[in-house]
Amino acid sequence: MKIGTYIIWAAAAVVVGIVVLLGYFIEQPLILETRASLMHWAVILAAAAVFMGLLNLLLVHWSKISTQTKGWGYSALLIVFLLETLVLGLIFGPDHNLVLLLFTYLQLPVEISLMAILAVVLVVAGYRLILRRRDMLSMVFMGTALVVLLGTLPWVVSGEGAIIRTLGEMRAWITQVWAVAGARGILLGVALGATTTGLRVLLGADRPYGD
Amino acid sequence: MTGIGVLGLVILLFFILLLVGLSFLERRHPARFRRVRSFEELGKAVERSVETGERVHLSLGTGSLIGAELAPGLAGLTLLDRVASATSMSDMPVVVTTSDGALGILAQDTLRSAYQRVGEPRRYEAMAGRVIGLTPFSYAAALPPVLTSEDVSVHLLLGSFGAEGPLAAHFGERQEAFVFGGTDDVPSQALLYATTDDPLIGEEVFAAGAYLDVGPLHSASLRTQDLLRAAIVLAIIIGTLVVTFGGGP
Repeated sequence: MKIGTYIIWAAAAVVVGIVVLLGYFIEQPLILETRASLMHWAVILAAAAVFMGLLNLLLVHWSKISTQTKGWGYSALLIVFLLETLVLGLIFGPDHNLVLLLFTYLQLPVEISLMAILAVVLVVAGYRLILRRRDMLSMVFMGTALVVLLGTLPWVVSGEGAIIRTLGEMRAWITQVWAVAGARGILLGVALGATTTGLRVLLGADRPYGD
Repeated sequence: MTGIGVLGLVILLFFILLLVGLSFLERRHPARFRRVRSFEELGKAVERSVETGERVHLSLGTGSLIGAELAPGLAGLTLLDRVASATSMSDMPVVVTTSDGALGILAQDTLRSAYQRVGEPRRYEAMAGRVIGLTPFSYAAALPPVLTSEDVSVHLLLGSFGAEGPLAAHFGERQEAFVFGGTDDVPSQALLYATTDDPLIGEEVFAAGAYLDVGPLHSASLRTQDLLRAAIVLAIIIGTLVVTFGGGP
């Protein structure tokens, strides 16, 4: 029973993967239409998975409330607002002013505040990096970050002095030559890694859908 | 079929043949890869957490299952499989979080399979695979309660992350946990370099399977990547020389 189930999932994943992949290379109407249908199914399934994720979120926080785990009050708040937003969305639709208001004046400011915290986090992380990893690479990393930061300052961008101009030119040289070259090298590795990861799933060797 | 389509198909078939061929070679002549400190430290940290009865948390990131963000998520699932097996004897089995519903389901399936494989199916709890926030920053904001309430001492980040990645790593650092991180996004890799104890750079994100001995195909994948990268570098050098000295476009 177990072996049979595993073979069905693997075969379905492999066949669907091959059809979708072939659609990128072969411009046959049948393959292109099948690929488009499969992609539409995937989008629908992903939307259903979002709903499952929502249920999972609800259950996790519900169990926190029932067991009175530390911080259960936050979980209760989350559930109240989650259900409130869901009900409002179902009644008025996602484009209604009331629903948009919740996003514009609650969700968005909170997320932007977290983005702002990121700047502080990165400064602290830079300081800790020097304390934690005193190797050549970390020093070069921090030195480069400092030069680029200084070179991006407004008084450098609009400045006339020789030192300021040199700093600006160094920043441009680092970001446009070294950083771009390095990023392309990393992207090359990431692209090859992503391809082999996908091919392993296509060959049925990796089965994220379970055995 | 267009010329570029034929070329793409030929390259893809070559890729697959190389992958399968090298996986057979791997059984007779196992590859020896360079040391990657991050994976060595990861192994030690997971062992330590099992011994001390503390929990491992794995974040699969904020990418969705549809699109380019899937690949690092799959790499994260490979790591999850190994970590779940390694911590199956612990009192505190691994907890995995994501912001995508589909990845959450895959994480639960991976956990179930890993526990079944090591003969500990009772270890599986559906709540160990969680969706804790549906947007990148709500996901990051939801991490600190998970890390504190679950007594996490090993905080692993392997998946698709954007600007929220360093925040997620920082929360682990505040918990004084071992923080290990990798993502496919280049700017986020730079940020994770500064915020994690052991960052993964470039293709190392996809090398977890090979370094954690998941199987011959994983090691063959790494060999294939190395060979193809060498071929691409050679092609770039030849192209540069031809353009420079041959009067090309």
